[in-house]
Amino acid sequence: MVSFKLNGAAVQVEVPERMPLLWVLRDELGLTGTKYGCGIAQCGACTVFYNGQAVRSCQIPASMLDGAEITTIEGLGTPEQPHPAQAAWIEHQVAQCGYCQSGQIMAAAGFLAMYPNPSDEQIDQVMSGNLCRCGTYPRIREAVKSAAVKLREPS
Amino acid sequence: MSTLAKLTRRGFLIGSATIAGGVAFGIYTVKKPHANPLLDGLGEGEVSFNPWIKIGSDGIVLITPHTDLGQGARSVQAALLAEELDLEFGQFRTEPGPPSAAYWNTASGGEGVPFTSHDRSLLAESMRGLVGSVIKVMGLQVTGGSSTVPDSFEKLLIAGASARETLKAAAARKFAVAHADLHTSDGNVLLPDGRQIAYVDLAAEAASIEPVRPKTLREPHRWRLIGKPMPRLDIVAKSTGTQVYGIDLRMEGMVHASLRTNPRQGGPMLRHDSSQAESMPGVSRVLELSNGIAVIADNTWNAIQAARAVEIEWGPAPYHPEMAEHWRELGESFVEARLDKEWRNDGDIAAALGGTGDVLELEYRAPYLAHAPLEPISAVVQVSEQRVDLWVSHQIPRFAQDLVSRMTGLPVEQVHLHNQYCGGSFGHRLEFENIRYATEIAMQLRGTPVKLTFSREEDFAHDFPRQIALCRARGRVRDGKLDALDLQIAAPSVITSQFSRIDMSAPSPDSQLAAGVWNTAYALPHMRVRAYRAPNLAPVSSWRSVGASTGGFFLESAIDEMIVAAGLDPMSERLRLCSEPLTRKVLEAVAELSGWGSKLGPNRGRGLALVESFGVPTAEVVEVTWTDRGIRIDKVYVVAEVGRVVDPVNFDNQVKGAVVWGLGHAMNCEITYADGIAQQTNYHAFEGMRLYQCPEIVVRGLENGDRIRGIGEPPVPPAAPALANAIFAATGMRLREMPFHKFIDFA
Amino acid sequence: MIRTAAIVLGLAITTCALADSTLQVNRPSGELSTEDGLIAWQRIFAVLSHPRCSNCHTDEHNIPMWSGPSYGRTRPHGMNIHAGPSRMGVETLMCSTCHITSRTPNTLPHAAPHAGHPWMLAPAAFAWHGKDSASVCTQLRDPQRNGGRDGQALVEHIIHDAEAHAFITWGFAPGGGREPAPGSMQAHLDDMLLWTSVGMPCPEGAQP
Repeated sequence: MVSFKLNGAAVQVEVPERMPLLWVLRDELGLTGTKYGCGIAQCGACTVFYNGQAVRSCQIPASMLDGAEITTIEGLGTPEQPHPAQAAWIEHQVAQCGYCQSGQIMAAAGFLAMYPNPSDEQIDQVMSGNLCRCGTYPRIREAVKSAAVKLREPS
Repeated sequence: MSTLAKLTRRGFLIGSATIAGGVAFGIYTVKKPHANPLLDGLGEGEVSFNPWIKIGSDGIVLITPHTDLGQGARSVQAALLAEELDLEFGQFRTEPGPPSAAYWNTASGGEGVPFTSHDRSLLAESMRGLVGSVIKVMGLQVTGGSSTVPDSFEKLLIAGASARETLKAAAARKFAVAHADLHTSDGNVLLPDGRQIAYVDLAAEAASIEPVRPKTLREPHRWRLIGKPMPRLDIVAKSTGTQVYGIDLRMEGMVHASLRTNPRQGGPMLRHDSSQAESMPGVSRVLELSNGIAVIADNTWNAIQAARAVEIEWGPAPYHPEMAEHWRELGESFVEARLDKEWRNDGDIAAALGGTGDVLELEYRAPYLAHAPLEPISAVVQVSEQRVDLWVSHQIPRFAQDLVSRMTGLPVEQVHLHNQYCGGSFGHRLEFENIRYATEIAMQLRGTPVKLTFSREEDFAHDFPRQIALCRARGRVRDGKLDALDLQIAAPSVITSQFSRIDMSAPSPDSQLAAGVWNTAYALPHMRVRAYRAPNLAPVSSWRSVGASTGGFFLESAIDEMIVAAGLDPMSERLRLCSEPLTRKVLEAVAELSGWGSKLGPNRGRGLALVESFGVPTAEVVEVTWTDRGIRIDKVYVVAEVGRVVDPVNFDNQVKGAVVWGLGHAMNCEITYADGIAQQTNYHAFEGMRLYQCPEIVVRGLENGDRIRGIGEPPVPPAAPALANAIFAATGMRLREMPFHKFIDFA
Repeated sequence: MIRTAAIVLGLAITTCALADSTLQVNRPSGELSTEDGLIAWQRIFAVLSHPRCSNCHTDEHNIPMWSGPSYGRTRPHGMNIHAGPSRMGVETLMCSTCHITSRTPNTLPHAAPHAGHPWMLAPAAFAWHGKDSASVCTQLRDPQRNGGRDGQALVEHIIHDAEAHAFITWGFAPGGGREPAPGSMQAHLDDMLLWTSVGMPCPEGAQP
């Protein structure tokens, strides 16, 4: 049995200790916004926050969850109250198939929390761990910059 | 299904000239409209005027039968329906609708006829009509071939207009006013006295009225939606993790399954030992499949883990196990016995290339490529005594139904396919493996919904790849001009391979073998294009832009080499060779957009390519810099002629995505076989383009043509040759084989 | 403190099995020559220059490398990875985004590998990717370029690594089908003990 905080709420699950967080979220807790793409940290579709840092949830075994704080795309914002990164993604109409975008948004949001005014070079370095097969990269670049502006604006 | 339709189904002849001679339908069979599939399922107070629109007291539903694969099909279909119906975004829901012959694709036959897209001769148009008739009689509902907009455009405008006029007729009767005095706006019929009657409140009245045929469609200047940026219907869900894809489905009593089948595609399973897997956590059963095993477990991860633990001995591949033999087989295919079709023979090629002297002899290679959409393929199937339910994303839903019907023995009418959103396709969702195996499993677990999820590794192992292709070209420059070009292509037939997997035949010729090549607008005095069909290769499948993805590379590489040999400018010589007016304008526009002719700095180069596929001439200029860490792609300019841009935002997104697709695979992707098994098992070995490598992409759509075209695929084929030509310009290195990273690094 | 004591003790006696590890500190005995030390160095260099080790001992560009049998030719780590001056990606993408910190065995082929120490590049001063044997040797024995370590501290570094299941340990058991560094952790420790006991001799051509 592991206990952790998921999107602000306490949860407990009984799963094999090697089961990755990705599958705990998707199959045990029913949060399917976090996507399975490769299972080996190559694509980034499963990115979530683990104690505030963006990580690939396919690599986090359940044994590392006790006491952790996890935030998923569902906890970042909602259709009614999107996070500034999500709002930027909507504004720029980034998604095509959209399957990688949860991970893209989590990677961007995690990074922007640390670096609110990133250079183009930093964006190219941080966002290249997330694969998009549809080729939405030009729009991702625009959306990250626009999200940074939104985050810097006093709310 | 009529006998005729059944016959047609089995001997589907798209791409075959034999259509002209062999098939004839009664006029009535062809003219008869297919029944509206929505009429069966109407609820109390609901009305449907045609297969695309359903109105009830709880709202308006627009049916979008073209599968949304990420290309925005759902939004564009809804917008076309909403245009004449005077609905705004937000005033309707969308549904994919049931698979139905009523959704037969009016545009999917155009690529199959042996006439260029510009040929409007009686013969060419008759052939297009005839192919269209076959597709209609078959009721072929298909998403693919960049046909969603061409198929939908006029059809859905008419459907919307018809519904609008029918609602007006209902209002006229209900409120005793003249039809001609009524107007519509924002989902309301406006009465002469200023009252607004919501469409939903007219549904009951409209139900008893014969649908009105609109007399005309609106002039383009009156369009509210078409041509203007549209908010994608799925954009909020896809930006907040709330979009449900097929792989996300959960339902009461559902079990999770994963599988392993022979990675030597089509080979048998000889022996297996599942004892260890059966004792693993969460595993309830290990089932035998026709050539593999499936594990049933309480969650996906447990199922995948246990499937990996089954010890299996696989039988041999039904094709050459080693890559060198695939290339050898292609090399031996340039013989009369394997000639599929001579697509073009202008002038006197033998004489032009005869004699001694400076004939360029060139060879080009294009590898197998996986589709590898980011969502691994999956399917949910529930088989009961009286019905099958199938929740999956598919591009030919009625073929999927047909397959499941044959497997289960239940009539097609009892196979219910619920088309899902999917995380990309690029052609993979034209295949049936996920459906076939999910059904095999569900038949062994009757009554239980089974979700089958492929691991990424299984997805790669069973991703029928893009065709491998080999081109031999001979060309000659005379008097400083391109004079003669003989292009011979050897490749496996995609349509034959694909159809064989659902027990259908597709006789010669296969128009995709020389797509993007024979139909070129370049007019050389002497030009020949021949396509040869290579047997005994790995099973192949339609991959975004299909034949043109390899053909475009061959044609535009060879043309570029000849231009270099002649010492000419790549743009002006192509313009000289191209007299077809629409295509010329594409070249002229890309020259202007890219500042062709302006000076580039040191170690920089510009490459141009022009390929027509799916009726869309597309030209691309790629600019690169040769840095100390390899080639950096700086900028790409794209111009495409599509007749009409429906949504400029989605158009831009599709073009950019297609360019990234074309460049990324040309840079660093291939599927190779060793011991009959694809060696690339995950994205570590099939990288594609990453964000940092993505160039700035400048897009322009031209609207000079009189026919509307689709844009999902046409920008793919020019990307690879434009990149190769740019690399040559920057480095002097001519790359004749993809992927290019075998020969040069990319920064 | 207990660990340090064990190490000191280990060096004082011939053999000592360490707690939490099967590693034995086998103090070299008998007459050992510089020649013996150079032979040991060749084996040490085979380890240090192996992709499992050298890929993360890169220069001040802070870019890890991908090389080894499964990569074809040597290339920078995919995905445009820059570890930054922090050497662990703080400035861009943390190494720990993909490489978790865990002592569990690496089992998945091609997955981001993990170890018991937070994933990071070695300090830029320790860069030896692509360098020859003589250069790496002089570098390793130079306290300015090895983290201020003398011979005994270099040996302790290996023992600490074993206890933490850190990178050297991982290099000999990388899992997931990766080719391990040649030899074993034990053999590597034995060689380091031998090499340091005879004054860390380096091959010809070494720069002072």
